Amino acid sequence: MIKRLAKYTLLILILGGIALAIYGWHLSVQVEKRFSTRRWSIPSTVYSDTTLLYPGQRMNSSLFSATLSNLGYRRVNSVPSQKGEIRIRTQALDIFLNDLKTPWTERTGFLAQIDFSEDRIGTIRRKDNGETIPILELEPEEIMQFFGQERERRQLISIEQIPEHQIQAVLAAEDHRFFEHHGVDWRGILRAMMTNLRHGAVRQGGSTLTQQLAKNYFLTPERTFIRKLKELILAVIIEFRYGKREILEIYLNEIYLGQKGSVAINGIGEASYFYFGKPVKRLTLSEAATIAGLIKAPNNYSPYRNMARCQSRRDKVLQAMHRWEWITQTELEDALKQPINAVGFKAADKKAPYFIDYLTEQLNSLYRSEDLSSLGLSIYTTLDTQVQMAAEEALTKGLAGLESSNPELQRTAPEDKLQGAVVVMQPKTGHILALAGGRNYSVSQFNRITQARRQPGSAFKPIVYLSSLAQFTPTTLLSNDPKSYTVNGKQWDPQNFEPVTEYTVSLQDALKKSHNLATVDLAMKTGLDRVVDIAAKFHFSTPLKPYPSLALGAFEVIPLELARAYCVFAAEGVQPFPLSLKGVVDENDRILEHQHLNIERIIPPAEAFIMNSMLQGVVKEGTARSLQWRGVTWPVAGKTGTTNDFRDAWFVGYTPDILALVWVGFDNGDPIKATGAAAALPIWADLMNAIPQYRSETQFNIPRGVEKILVCPVTGRPAVDGCPEPVEVYFLTGHTPGGHCPLHAEDGIAGKIIKGVRGLINDD
Amino acid sequence: MTIKAMQIICLALLAALLVGCPKPPLEGYPSEAEETTTSAEAAEDNPRVAASLQLTDQGRRLVEDRRPDRAIRVLEQAVSLHPGNGQNYYYLSEAWLMKGFADQAKEFNQLAEIHLKDDSQWMIRVAEQADRIAELEK
Repeated sequence: MIKRLAKYTLLILILGGIALAIYGWHLSVQVEKRFSTRRWSIPSTVYSDTTLLYPGQRMNSSLFSATLSNLGYRRVNSVPSQKGEIRIRTQALDIFLNDLKTPWTERTGFLAQIDFSEDRIGTIRRKDNGETIPILELEPEEIMQFFGQERERRQLISIEQIPEHQIQAVLAAEDHRFFEHHGVDWRGILRAMMTNLRHGAVRQGGSTLTQQLAKNYFLTPERTFIRKLKELILAVIIEFRYGKREILEIYLNEIYLGQKGSVAINGIGEASYFYFGKPVKRLTLSEAATIAGLIKAPNNYSPYRNMARCQSRRDKVLQAMHRWEWITQTELEDALKQPINAVGFKAADKKAPYFIDYLTEQLNSLYRSEDLSSLGLSIYTTLDTQVQMAAEEALTKGLAGLESSNPELQRTAPEDKLQGAVVVMQPKTGHILALAGGRNYSVSQFNRITQARRQPGSAFKPIVYLSSLAQFTPTTLLSNDPKSYTVNGKQWDPQNFEPVTEYTVSLQDALKKSHNLATVDLAMKTGLDRVVDIAAKFHFSTPLKPYPSLALGAFEVIPLELARAYCVFAAEGVQPFPLSLKGVVDENDRILEHQHLNIERIIPPAEAFIMNSMLQGVVKEGTARSLQWRGVTWPVAGKTGTTNDFRDAWFVGYTPDILALVWVGFDNGDPIKATGAAAALPIWADLMNAIPQYRSETQFNIPRGVEKILVCPVTGRPAVDGCPEPVEVYFLTGHTPGGHCPLHAEDGIAGKIIKGVRGLINDD
Repeated sequence: MTIKAMQIICLALLAALLVGCPKPPLEGYPSEAEETTTSAEAAEDNPRVAASLQLTDQGRRLVEDRRPDRAIRVLEQAVSLHPGNGQNYYYLSEAWLMKGFADQAKEFNQLAEIHLKDDSQWMIRVAEQADRIAELEK
């Protein structure tokens, strides 16, 4: 009987052993697979463009301060001694620059002094050798990260980068016998059991670092005997297959150490920045012990939650380090005296969300979304965060102002509120500097710059005028007489926005004052097919048909495409491809994607210049003249736009350096009861006044093929001395008005009058 | 008052409204060349131009070192700061030529021509560059 029992027991043991061996082999394969492939999903990070600083540059001090803060620069009261520190003095800034690393440039941080003179940068100098710096580039700002489902932030570090006292602090806090056991610390387990029995509750866990790693990597968090057994087996397997330092490195990169808003902070590398704003290698003993103390319960011991608990936990870690003779008594006492100076953080709010959505659309054509959330790519963009802040602020302020000045525009439901959108581009490069596709992203994610289709109204007129330049000149007289047109069998009677007394008006004045009747007259004389053909060259993707109402912007356009069309005028006739993405780099700094300035010639430079000249007239004397008393006194060209029943208000304005389009309207097409000049233009002016660094005040370049002629304002012909207040007008070479003013010349009407008078007198 | 006298008064009033010395069209207006300032002059009173020139120089060196991608990035920054400097477009064209993209090189060459039209030395280089682009296009 006993023999049989022993036999069965042996058999069970053998079978159990075999089963355990098979299971162990199965787990071993899992461990191998998990550890040999990518260990972590690293989110890709989106960066803004770098910020350039140079002597003489105009500054918006509040936006510049915001940039420094977003870049993580910390204010100190003495001369900055570490990267990322700034000291603000009267008319000067001492800045210990962070390292700059982009795919195209690399610079180690150094201490610099920036002197200011009123609203400009005076000089930039290195503090160490006094050398002046002609141009300084600040690192790009982190805009967002593409998280996977885990929403984890992690900066990977190698074990060599981690100082010994950080490793010791972690071991003291979690597993001081780590280098002695083989994955499972039986002594630790027994001690934990005794402690827990004594207190009648779970007070201590006996898990080694390796067990914690096994739990985090392979197991679910529930507390069952089977799960614990699995954890023990996995820990032994891990120890069997990998070295102690390798296990420690994986653990220190894996461990959860707190929460930044909805995003988890994982690993010592990320935590040292999150809590102390510096790399691990620069953590002090006290700071290292603080981070190690967090492992037990990161949110409970977080310095951002409860400083007293955090300090008490840090002290315990330090004392444990001293107990295991890893630090001396003096080091202990010094560290215990140190306050915990956490750097603080801002929960990541969504920056430039509409821009990011537009960027993501482009990235999705290059990468799968799971790659974006796991490959740790660095994505560099064209976004200028200062321009973005200025655009958002101007839009918010402008829309609120319109609502307060006209209560009829107020709506209760957030989704029904008055909307607006702004895009800012560099016309020569196509770089999108800022994009605000709506008033409030959390209410509506519809991007009114890239997705909306709205009638441009008079903002489309420049295309009509451009189309006519081959046949007509800026001084050609157009009819302002009311006329009826038949469109699809229906009568269409265009009207001017306001009653006009002039029956004829020059082409440039018609554009300046945005006369509808004269514009339709021009379009009909030019030929509607030609207008459509020219518009097609500008890459409008929406259909434009040869109807007379086309001249008044009755066909819908996508606002970004309208902004891009105006770039052609500002950029001497070439059209840039709108760029939001500059480049993509993988985690090993290999450049995966390079997007360069890409341009296409659309019209000759001379025609572009004539348009600039006429559109400058709009700002100087036309519908956009109010810009001047809004502080915009430098050379600007632009055009207002208002659609039927005031459904849309537009202003597109530009200089050779920068172009911005502003749209205001209701999503449902309700009238906003204001013109482009009243609703959109003030937003444009506020925006431009807030970004003085983009104001060069340069004139548009005069290309070949253009002639400037002094003409009579009445006849539009070359002026003679008798012409009252002759004006300078640019013409295409070969399209200049011939002869001279017939009205004021001796042989003109005036001359004839004078001759007549003389004759009458002589008769007497 | 006779009809003739009234005619005289009306004509005189009209003449007063349109008074002036009838002469041929005015001459001696400043030429385009007179209005154009050189890059160096512009840099003196325009900080953006001065900063841009630094980048232009950096871009030029990168082109000379045959590092077109880096050069394009730097020159794009230079264009952002000062779109009126034709040298940026010349070197951008050079960089695109180096990369074998004739279309882009051609567009930048044309922009260089627009902005450097008043500098005969540069215009020779721009013309020579246009020839090389034409060669590439063949």
